[in-house]
Amino acid sequence: MATPRTHSAAPPSLWDPVVRITHWGIAVSVLFNAALDEGGSLFHVSLGWLVMALLLLRVVWGVLGPREARFSAFPPNPVAALRHLGQLASGKVRHYPSHNPAGAMMVYAFWACLALVTVTGLVMTGGATPMQVAEEKAAVASGDWSALIKKSDGESSEAEDNSLRHTAEEVHEVVANLLLILAALHVIGVFVESRAMRRNLVAPMVLGQRRK
Amino acid sequence: MTVFPDIQTAGRRQTAALSIFLVVQTLGTVFFVGDVIGDLRADPLSVHFIFEAVVTSALVLGILFGIFALRRTIELLRAQDQALAVARGALSDVIDRQFQAWALTPAERDVGFLALKGLDVAEIAEMRGAAQGTVRAQLTRIYSKAGVSGRAQFAAFFVEDLLGAAVPEAQAA
Repeated sequence: MATPRTHSAAPPSLWDPVVRITHWGIAVSVLFNAALDEGGSLFHVSLGWLVMALLLLRVVWGVLGPREARFSAFPPNPVAALRHLGQLASGKVRHYPSHNPAGAMMVYAFWACLALVTVTGLVMTGGATPMQVAEEKAAVASGDWSALIKKSDGESSEAEDNSLRHTAEEVHEVVANLLLILAALHVIGVFVESRAMRRNLVAPMVLGQRRK
Repeated sequence: MTVFPDIQTAGRRQTAALSIFLVVQTLGTVFFVGDVIGDLRADPLSVHFIFEAVVTSALVLGILFGIFALRRTIELLRAQDQALAVARGALSDVIDRQFQAWALTPAERDVGFLALKGLDVAEIAEMRGAAQGTVRAQLTRIYSKAGVSGRAQFAAFFVEDLLGAAVPEAQAA
């Protein structure tokens, strides 16, 4: 009979559409929000909510999705990640069925930062949905400035609220910059890994290799 | 040969469409949940809030079902892919062994494979950089070693194995 083929030794030749859509959706949104639009603008807040939705979908997909998209396929393991980087330096690399251990650590670092950025963003806007932000801005534009006055129980809680928002703002900015640094490292990592493994790691995240 | 890529492309399109739908659904639900949480802070016992909470949980359930459906589709596609790969491997194993049993020379085996793939004499000659007369002579030797009358019977030899007992059943029906 036919020899049984093992598919487990190599990463997928094409990631499933949920992984690809969430990956590129988040990548584009983060770059856009970091570089091109104004913090606190309606567009910035909307993209933030989009990132939150994509992140949530990816996390649920990490539990319910196909095998290589599940967290169990790439558990966070710093020791294995370091070992993998060591192998990479010596030129001998193993192939993994999902993300390699170093890539997996990068994925979790991204998710932690994205979660932190969205949560601090929500604190800064007081949890206002883009619809509410738009209404507020429309009200202010039409001369009704009462929308700017925050409802609060008393002076002390308002001060507390402000300090919380201030902290959130600091964290938001620091983590956003961290995200950009991670993105740069990620791109370098993909490049180095592609050369060491002699396989194109970008194609599976785009459309896969065209079969003849 | 052309049937399988079409199934694959259709499957890919289907999963892509399902995924995009899932993303839009998730986006809508997240906005809605945000709105509901705002209402919860305003007045947790209002009819408005209770109604919205029910709608939101229905949305979340819908997404979960969508995720299950998508995963099943993806796994089904993969199983088909794998079955096809196994079938291909098995068929080429069968052909290999049969060629060996007929004691074909390496050159004859190559020509035999190309003939089975449906290439005509001119194409085989071009691929192998040989004269058409050589290829024709090789094919004749292959047919005589295999004990078949010509190309049609030669190809049918392997297809018959794949079809198994389908012919008598079809005649009976």
